[in-house]
Order: sequence, then structure tokens, then C-alpha cells
Amino acid sequence: MTSDAEIVRRVREGDTAAFAVLVARYRDRLGRYAVHMLGDRSDAEEALQDAFVRAYRSLARCREDGQFGPWLFGILVNRCRTAGRRAARRHRMFVRDEVSLERASAPETSDRAEWDDTVRWAMERLAPPLREAFLLKHVEDMEYEEMSRLTGTGVSALKMRVMRAREQLRALLTEVERV
Amino acid sequence: MFDRDEDVLDRVIDQLRQPVEMDPTLDTAVMTRVAAGGERLGRLAAVWDWAWRPREISVSPLAGLGLAAAVVGIVVWLAGRNPQVASPAAGPNTVQFVVVAPGAASVSLVGDFNDWDGGATPMQAAKSGALWSVTVPLTPGRYRYAFLVNGSRWLADPAAPRVQDDYDAPSSVVTVGG
Amino acid sequence: MHCSRWLAMLPLAGALLILRPSTAAAQDPRLERRLDPATLESVTATIDSARLQGLPVEALVQRALEGAAKHAAPAQIAAAVRRLAMELATARQALGSVSSPMELEAAAGALRAGVRPADLTRLRHRRTQSLTVALATLADLVASGVPPDSAAAAVIALAASAGDDQMADFRRAVERDIALGAPPAVAAAVRVDAALRQTPGASSRRP
Repeated sequence: MTSDAEIVRRVREGDTAAFAVLVARYRDRLGRYAVHMLGDRSDAEEALQDAFVRAYRSLARCREDGQFGPWLFGILVNRCRTAGRRAARRHRMFVRDEVSLERASAPETSDRAEWDDTVRWAMERLAPPLREAFLLKHVEDMEYEEMSRLTGTGVSALKMRVMRAREQLRALLTEVERV
Repeated sequence: MFDRDEDVLDRVIDQLRQPVEMDPTLDTAVMTRVAAGGERLGRLAAVWDWAWRPREISVSPLAGLGLAAAVVGIVVWLAGRNPQVASPAAGPNTVQFVVVAPGAASVSLVGDFNDWDGGATPMQAAKSGALWSVTVPLTPGRYRYAFLVNGSRWLADPAAPRVQDDYDAPSSVVTVGG
Repeated sequence: MHCSRWLAMLPLAGALLILRPSTAAAQDPRLERRLDPATLESVTATIDSARLQGLPVEALVQRALEGAAKHAAPAQIAAAVRRLAMELATARQALGSVSSPMELEAAAGALRAGVRPADLTRLRHRRTQSLTVALATLADLVASGVPPDSAAAAVIALAASAGDDQMADFRRAVERDIALGAPPAVAAAVRVDAALRQTPGASSRRP
């Protein structure tokens, strides 16, 4: 497989079409973060598209070999923050229409679909900074130092956010279990 | 539904780590936008090189820098308020209530705004059956409410402030702005 | 019955005579449908007494209906309605007789949450506009975990300068900070300072 660095080099030399390889390579993994962060698939697609286009236009700034992925991820995290702020101003509601619910759920057992809804509801309840920290730590498997570089927030603040996210998720989902 | 011994957080993380398939037409959308500005990338790279490795080239710096549209966004983080207490998406003072109640046969919203009538405001289940919701118009004020599950079990809203209760059954409160 | 009790009932009896019989006897059909006769009688007496004192009664009706919905014991329903009536009366004493029904209901919520009547009075003296949103902010802050004294101090500090929208913004900011891990009292204090610094003409001196 051709390395990211090699593709970046080609794109910077004028082979625009080569950028499509990077898009295909990172689409689903970054999409997963955007979907969970924004709670809405179409918002996530918009943020993801935005992130890729911004990455392309500022590709000259991605100078270190092997760092395209994290660098692109940082752009996406910022896109999601902006999108989240817009959504909060619109006072979007959580419940999606049936079509987007179907698309978003994993196509497996009804238990899986129920749990998917439950998790998405609980994640939506978290304040965005807590949700972001939780996803970066537990889903993207980042180290705190890396998270700090990405978000511009100190390590101890990030640790507190992850801890608070865990507490709140536990509280929300324990209530659900008692029904 | 849940294995009591299993940490519920492990289940949450496991769910969130499941692969997500994005629409592959996104690639086309990206490349269309990229191609529309494609010519600029060559010039952007050239400007960047010029800035960092000065050579004797006569190029208008203003034209080059004008193309280097590095957008510096100052991100102001505004965590959203509990999204329940809403308004304008569906109309003025329209509030949506959401609760997760997997396995419930019925869930209704009961409170000061419907005379605590358990049958007045049934909630609708999403297709999976776990998520129940209803949207109600509310004039400005402060309302006590709770969810009634299967006609007999009272559930406070885990995402809203609790109020001291007189009746050994939990209640929550929502404030609708005016 | 003892003499003293008869004498104590005279003002109420007099008031009942002044009223049209239909008003004194009128029962809310919602209560008639949902309460058993004994509970209905007790609750209606409390509601009528409150109405005579000029207190808002809709909140009392809703409190009784809540008890009916939750299948509470008759004594519990009657006690809950009496308790709320007392809170409304205390609220009116603290805020003054010109208070609106919404102000009194919001104040009763604040009292139930643990706010002191004296703090309600201080709030009335500090704020010339309607107190409804300020009182709801106060009750919501306490419901979110801010100690009653801290919540009262914060809202009173903002009372003179902050409009209703700013009060709501302040509450949202405090709740967001609490969700992010700030101790509730600290969150309230920090946001008050920030709000006072932003509001033109506001005094930075906190009571």
C-alpha cells in the first residue's frame, strides 16, 4: 500500500486525483468520530467533507512524513466543534427521522439496534467537551498527550472531562436499566 | 436486558467502536470540490515554498498570499444546553421530550401541562423500540413532569433537574423561556 | 369543638358569606373526576382558603392531580396541597402582595428547594422588573446542585442589572460548567463575576 506521505507528495506535485486515495482511506474511520460527536449522520458527512477539502487546500502545511492522519483528524475535530456550535444554536432535537435511524443503526439484531439508540441518546446528553474527550480517549485510543496537542486543552483538564463523561454515562444508563 | 455484572461503559465503548460506513459518494463530493479549486493547490505549494526557501523569482506576493486562504478560526466552544428545552426548530416554545425505555409497551409524558393525565400525551417509539419521544407546545413557565412507563412505573427524566417530590415517585422540572 | 376554634373560624365563615354561594361551593371538575370524596373535600377546602387569601390556585390543583396520578394516599395528597399553599403564602409574604401568580409559583419552587424567605425579599428589593425568570433561575440552580445560599447570592447579585435573557444565559452557563466538573457553588460564583463584568453599569460589589 502506498504510504500517506507518498500520496501527499504526489498531490503537492499536482496529481490532484491522488487525493481521492486518502479520502477513501480515511473516510470511514473519521466518519465514525464525526457521527458519534455530532449525533447526526448528515451533519457528520458535511463536517467530514469540509475537513477533507480544508486538508487538501492546506496540504502544503502538512510537512512531516507519516503525520497526515493525525493532522487530518485535528482538522476534523475542529470542524465538528463548529458544526456542534451551529447545531446548538438551531436547538436541534435528538430524535432523527426513521430513514436516518435506519441508516445509522448497525444492521444486526434488534437488541443491537436498541442499544445503538440508547448509546446515541446518552452521548447526546454529554456536554460537547466531555463527549469529545470521551471519544478521543476510548474510541480513538489516543494518549492524553496526543489529545492535548489536538485539542489545545491541558492533560489534567482532559482527564477530568473523561472521568466526568464516564460518570454521567453511567448515571444515565443505570436509570435506563431500572425500567 | 443488561448483564448486571458487566460494566455498562464497556458496552458503550464497544458500541461506539463498531465500524461506521459512510456514504461512498462522499468521495465524489470531496473530489468535485477539490477539482474546482485544483489549480490553486499548485500555486499554494509554490507560494509556501517561496515563503520558506526564498529564490529569485519575480512573482507578485500579494497575488500569491491572496490565494493562500488560510482560514484561522477562533473556535468558541459553546456546549449546548439540554436539548430538550427547545424552541425554534419546530416552532416557538415547542419542547421535545425524549427518554430511553427499552422493552416498554407504552410510555407517556405526564405533568403540570396536561393535568397529570397519564393518557393525554402518549409518546412515540422509534423503530428500534428503545427511544420514545413526543413534542408539545408549552407557554412560558416552569413545569413539573415525569414519564409513565407501562401505565404504572414513574420515571424521572435522567437528563433534567429533579424536584423534591411529595409522593414517593420521582419528578423533573422544565423551564420554558418567555 | 372548643370556643377558641369557633372564634378562629369566624373570619373564614364571614368570608364565605360574602362570597356567592356558587364560588365557595365550586369544585374544579378535574379534581371531582380524579379524587375520592374525602380527599376532594380536604383539598377543596385548602384551595378555597388559598383563593380567599388571593393566592394562585392552579398550582394547587396540579399538585393534587399529580398525587391522584401517582395513586398517592389521600392523606399524602391533602398534605402536599396544604404544604404548597403554605409555601405560596410564605412567598407572598416575602415578595409582597403585588406579586403576580407566576412570581408566587416560581417563588414557592425556590422555597421548596431551600431558599430562605429573606433572600426572596432581598431579590424583590433589588429587581424592579418581574421576578418570574429570576426566581425560576434560582430554583433551577438549586435543582442543579448549587447550594441555596450560593444560588440566592448569585441571582441577587445579578438582579439589578441582568435582563431575563441574561438570567437564562447565566443559568445555562452554570449548568454547563457543572456538567464539565466544576463544583456547583464555584461555578455559580465564577459565572456571576463574569456576568457582572460584562454588564454595563453593573455594580461589582456583591451583597
